[in-house]
Amino acid sequence: CKKYLEISPQERILLDNYYKTPAEAKAALVAIYDRFGFQTGGLYDKVAIMCAASDDQIAGGGGPSDINDLQVVNNFTLNATTGPQGYLWNKGYAGIFRANVFLSKIGDINMDATTKASYIAEAKTLRAIFYFDLVRFFKNIPLLTSAVDPKEIYNVVQAPPAEVYALIEKDLTEAIPGLPNTVVARTDGGRITKGAAQAMLGKVYLWQGKNAQAAEQLAIVNGATPGQPNAVYGYRLLPNFGDLFKVANKFNSESILEIVHANSSNGGWGDAGASEGNLLNIIVGPRGYKPGPGAPDYYSGYSFLLFTKEFFDFIHFDPRNKATVANLDSLEKNGIATYEKGYQNTGYFLEKTIGRVADKAPTGQTELNFPQNSYEIRLADTYLLEAEALLNNNAAVGAGSRAYQLLNAVRARVGLNPVAVTLDNIIRERRLELAGEGHRFLDLVRWGKAATVLAYKGFKSGKNEIFPIPQAELANTKLEQNKEYGGTK
Amino acid sequence: QDIPVTGKVTDEKDGMPLPGVTVKLDGTSRAASTDANGVFSIQAPVGGTLTLSLIGMAAKKVTVPAGGRINVALSASTQDLTDVVIIGYGVQKKSVVTGAISSVRAADLENQPTTTRLEQALQGRTSGLTIAAQSGQPGSAATVRLRGFTSFGGKNDPLWVIDGVVVDNGGIGYLNQADIESIEVLKDAASAAIYGARAASGVILVTTKKGKLGRVSLSYNGYYGIANAAKKLNLLNATEYATLRNEAYTNDFVSGTFTLPYPNPESLGEGTDWQSYVFNDNAARQNHELSISGGNEKSTFYLSAGYFKIDGIVAKEVSKFNRANIRINSQHKLYNWLTIGENLGYSHAITNAVGNTNSEFGGPLSSAINLDPITPAIITDPAVAGAAPYSTQPVFRDQFGNPYGISTRVAQEITNPLGDIRRRIGNYSWDHNIVGNAFLEAEPIKGLRFRSTLGSKLAFYGSDGFNPIYYLNSSTSNTRTQFARNINYIITYNLENTLTYTRSLGNHNLSLLLGQGSYSDGFSRSVSTTFYDVPAQDFYSASMRFKPVAANRTSDGSEGTDHKVFSLFSRLTYDYKEKYLFSALIRRDGSSRFGANNKYGYFPSAQIGWVPTKEDFFPQNNIVNFLKIRGSYGVTGNDGIGDFAYVPLVGSGRNYTFGNENIVNIGYSPAASANPDLKWEETRQTNIGIDATLFNNLTLVLDWYKKKTVGILQNPPVPGYIGSGSPAANIADMSNSGFEFELGYRQKFGEFNFGISGNGSFLKNTIDKLSPGVNFIDDSQATFQTLGNITRTQIGHSYNEFYGYVNEGIFQSQAEINAYKGPNGTILQPLAKPGDVKFANLNNDEVIDVNDRDFIGNGLPKFTYGITLNLSYRNWDLVAFGSGVAGNMIFQGLRRLDIPNANYQTSRLNRWTPTNPSTTQPRLTDADPNKNLTKFSSLYLEKGDYFRMRTFQIGYTLPKTIVSKVGLQKFRVYVLSENLFTVTKYTGYDPELGSNNSGNAFSIDRGLYPQARSFVFGINANF
Repeated sequence: CKKYLEISPQERILLDNYYKTPAEAKAALVAIYDRFGFQTGGLYDKVAIMCAASDDQIAGGGGPSDINDLQVVNNFTLNATTGPQGYLWNKGYAGIFRANVFLSKIGDINMDATTKASYIAEAKTLRAIFYFDLVRFFKNIPLLTSAVDPKEIYNVVQAPPAEVYALIEKDLTEAIPGLPNTVVARTDGGRITKGAAQAMLGKVYLWQGKNAQAAEQLAIVNGATPGQPNAVYGYRLLPNFGDLFKVANKFNSESILEIVHANSSNGGWGDAGASEGNLLNIIVGPRGYKPGPGAPDYYSGYSFLLFTKEFFDFIHFDPRNKATVANLDSLEKNGIATYEKGYQNTGYFLEKTIGRVADKAPTGQTELNFPQNSYEIRLADTYLLEAEALLNNNAAVGAGSRAYQLLNAVRARVGLNPVAVTLDNIIRERRLELAGEGHRFLDLVRWGKAATVLAYKGFKSGKNEIFPIPQAELANTKLEQNKEYGGTK
Repeated sequence: QDIPVTGKVTDEKDGMPLPGVTVKLDGTSRAASTDANGVFSIQAPVGGTLTLSLIGMAAKKVTVPAGGRINVALSASTQDLTDVVIIGYGVQKKSVVTGAISSVRAADLENQPTTTRLEQALQGRTSGLTIAAQSGQPGSAATVRLRGFTSFGGKNDPLWVIDGVVVDNGGIGYLNQADIESIEVLKDAASAAIYGARAASGVILVTTKKGKLGRVSLSYNGYYGIANAAKKLNLLNATEYATLRNEAYTNDFVSGTFTLPYPNPESLGEGTDWQSYVFNDNAARQNHELSISGGNEKSTFYLSAGYFKIDGIVAKEVSKFNRANIRINSQHKLYNWLTIGENLGYSHAITNAVGNTNSEFGGPLSSAINLDPITPAIITDPAVAGAAPYSTQPVFRDQFGNPYGISTRVAQEITNPLGDIRRRIGNYSWDHNIVGNAFLEAEPIKGLRFRSTLGSKLAFYGSDGFNPIYYLNSSTSNTRTQFARNINYIITYNLENTLTYTRSLGNHNLSLLLGQGSYSDGFSRSVSTTFYDVPAQDFYSASMRFKPVAANRTSDGSEGTDHKVFSLFSRLTYDYKEKYLFSALIRRDGSSRFGANNKYGYFPSAQIGWVPTKEDFFPQNNIVNFLKIRGSYGVTGNDGIGDFAYVPLVGSGRNYTFGNENIVNIGYSPAASANPDLKWEETRQTNIGIDATLFNNLTLVLDWYKKKTVGILQNPPVPGYIGSGSPAANIADMSNSGFEFELGYRQKFGEFNFGISGNGSFLKNTIDKLSPGVNFIDDSQATFQTLGNITRTQIGHSYNEFYGYVNEGIFQSQAEINAYKGPNGTILQPLAKPGDVKFANLNNDEVIDVNDRDFIGNGLPKFTYGITLNLSYRNWDLVAFGSGVAGNMIFQGLRRLDIPNANYQTSRLNRWTPTNPSTTQPRLTDADPNKNLTKFSSLYLEKGDYFRMRTFQIGYTLPKTIVSKVGLQKFRVYVLSENLFTVTKYTGYDPELGSNNSGNAFSIDRGLYPQARSFVFGINANF
């Protein structure tokens, strides 16, 4: 009768029977990427949180508690129980868990050695990215490199941040040799390439103040001559800044690593987070948008992540203004379109990521299935990061120097004259170039400028540089809350 | 020396001949039976003893006189104590039963022929059961709880066993009530433990009718009648509505000048009574059953056919049910020691359902309650009909081309019910059920019986639905036609082999059962497909022959998970002189749902009993005629804990897109870590009871029980750094305890027969333990609109008790508001105005917040009861049967909170105003700054006590002298009313609220489809 009670293999996929074939290896790898692109059913993602936390944007929305997790980031009233930290934490650790399981299983799968090496390298790069985010957001975190034994669930402790950074560097360093220089955009766009891992490694070094190593890695990505195509990877700045944000230009030459979205997953409201569509596209759209003739084809959205008046004034006369800010205020004043004014409306919307009617999905809930990708890292970013690393490392920065070329290649692309390489100019350039892409807040923290710049939002120095560890993580565990949030760590 | 003996057997009551009486010569196997005229003949010696027996009559022994002529009159067997009770894999004389088993007999069910499902027929019939209809939609199931709750998310429905076939998950809708011979409810764990790991929620055994020895008899039972809603809600008419809306507007107005939304309410008159468009008058119902049964010593059979058709009282065009049944039960004696047979039922049902039957989100009732009374049901004004939206949108129209009115005030899911009905017309679901068993029974040695039963249920079911292009309002419309078809099947089977040895040695009576069973259920397959842009206007013109291009066809499929159980069981029953009673059993169940470390569960039980009235020392008296004291303890399990929770699985849906062609790759990763220790939820129950007969005519059954379920499945919270889900574990505990009684009294005064019986059950349910660190759990379905969760399950309280703010009345003045302060002097409700609700500051701090909520009522009745009265005088008979509950609260959530313009119930006419200082009805306000209605408080709760006259019936049996002339044995006519009246203070449609649409929480009213009140005329005829 024992046999009678056994489970037929067609009923469910048993863990013991899985991780046997190359196809299963690929599916297991996909599951790690899934977390890389994970958005919450509460309609936000990492970029949205970072934007809400920045000085350039406000949470907005329909009211003072609409997507409350973004509101409490916006005004820095978040605490261990309220805020988006649970999403950030779980996103990272679920990804790490999947990567850990994958890495422990793939060794036994009989498959092509090059493919296997590449898969392992992708998994390690992703694990590094998850840890890089977690350590920056939470500082004191558990460092897990294998699935936790069920008996040890409540015995896990936090690791010193240096150990986490060591693993990140190790993972990326080990990954780089196994990764391909390029992938076929049509079928494999979005997969980790050598350049992506090197760009991330450079960024990781820079964050730790390892400027020489940062500059070295980023130089490989940025190529021999800034402004000219990278001979190995083919990276080059797009001639037209606005083209970066067109759905048709996925995996363009400036793209190093993107989070890929699709319009074909039929995502629905039952679990919006499970959609492969880009949720940012709908939340940043103007509310109740009614276009007249000649108006842009914005898809009516929920009016989140508005630019502040100050930022608008800052970018107004920059060539990137039009591709960055959707000026609904002006459209309405000129009788081209009307819209409903949401909470704390400024009239300045995030042009880069507003969903377009032309891009809407053919099936499913159209509002949840926009196919625009978002950049994890792109060449203009690595140009500026390398320039910063060189500056920090006291390398030559005068006219004609590499740092000068890097900074001014970014400016030249939008038709601006060269400027000197100073930290202020780099800060200014990053703010203009990368606005609304989720970099500003972490940049401010890295530069030590968050306390002053964000004071107007309620940012508290020595506290809001990081997020509180979610309260749920502390119950029955050995984890301690960061001292910034009243804990002991 | 044998002589021919002849005789006639008659009924002592009316002197009519009794056919089918078995006449057996004692000491031999020789037997005969009486013919249609009650006449028998048999060879027997003078002085020999003949035993005459017939089911339902007391057996009688007569001595063969010289001459061989015998006339015998048999009397009806006095019920109850001489009855046998079915106990699962066997029968037991009721006088020696030591478990807590309640029985319902065919006669009781026959007196209540109008119920559409068996659960309803059980309601109020026995103690221990809490039954509440989930909806008045014809054919819908009821919530059945036996002695309370035994699980949280798992199975709480009792195990139904039909003629030995386990028909799990309440799938008993196929049964024709007229085919039922008896129902036994195994209430205590000691009795139910013979069903082991699936018996924790109790077991209900249903036995269908078998053929009887004797002449072939034919009977017809049928009725025809009409049904109506017993109650309509009191809603505002247009003038009252406008007045209240004006007042709400005025109350919310901040400053400046304003114009009232309805400057002249009186001009609006009565307006539209939406309920009149929803409730049907005189919805028809009819039922016809024909059965034939008969047999001889070798073979008996029972054959029946039934047809049942009922129109709903709500939106009858889309609320109907009809069912046809056939049953064939027969058995054949191949040899004296070998019998084979089968019990087989088939049914086919078709249901048209209104959709939401207890939902605040649309459906005809919710719409009728919430729609404003100003909007006309049908637009006859050409100016309005010629303008948008009527001129621009695909609206529904009446036969004259007038559009159905679309409210400009109340929208979202709330739509004109006339249109809502139109879009659903024709859509139906169907099912075919074949449930039966075949058995073989051998008795090679006297007392040793082997029985092998193969049982199976095949269910095929599905639905066809067409969604036309329509516009009901701005948020409820459809722009593409869809035709969806869904087809499913389920196969379950049981194979059971039992060996029973029964022996009497002097005064020692012994019975031993050994059994083995294997069971499989949950094997199901389904496919569904939807065609878009089907060129049709309505269901009747839609067809899958209109095949659209591939892009306009979607399909889906799914498979159920096979659930297998393998069991061994044994039972020993012993009594000495039917005075000292003992029984013990053990069952071992292996289930495909149990973890590797707990593959097999053992479920033991023991029962003891003592019958003092059989003791020599017990004085003969007329006060206590019979007394039995019994006690039992048993362990049962619930394996309804989900599949494969114990084994590490890989889950899909971890998808990601690669490339620029929108190609989503399917990703897999491990799901929750596994729990190899996972096992059944275990229920341990102690039962103590007495059975007694007092004063010759009064029967009394008392039971007390304490039932504790341990290891209820929970997913305890795990830290997120684990990176995967929480493994299920056996964690929580819950108790039920109660006291039950059943009483019966029967007396005869000349030609007047009087009988009354009643039962009652007290129930207390308590949560004993939850996951460590978890203080309470919420039922994700027991929520209401923006109020969120309205129930809570917490240690020390009952399962899913209502949890909210305590309403302390209404602020009558600003002074009262200002005086309502916290201990430090903070005004607690600064936003309140006179007329707003005062919420209790339970934790005595400076603010009214979520911490001021408390348990404010329980939806589960504390007491359920039923009373039956039987009277007969000569040819007249009367049956009155009622049942009710007491001690529960009902959540009355009939008005949409998020639609300020929704209509009100007339109770709101008594709202607080400066001139009408109400203490119960807060002032009108849409803004509701004080959150009078957007905080869940006791304001929403009403007492749920009710008593309902379920059946009231008067019958007349035509004298036999008349009917026998046309070849009839019996002809009876009756009139019957179902749900003649309901006594309750509850203000909604119907206080009888199961757990439909509310998870496991009882008594949440979102606009329930109420039970109908019907009047039928019926006939019983026997040929």
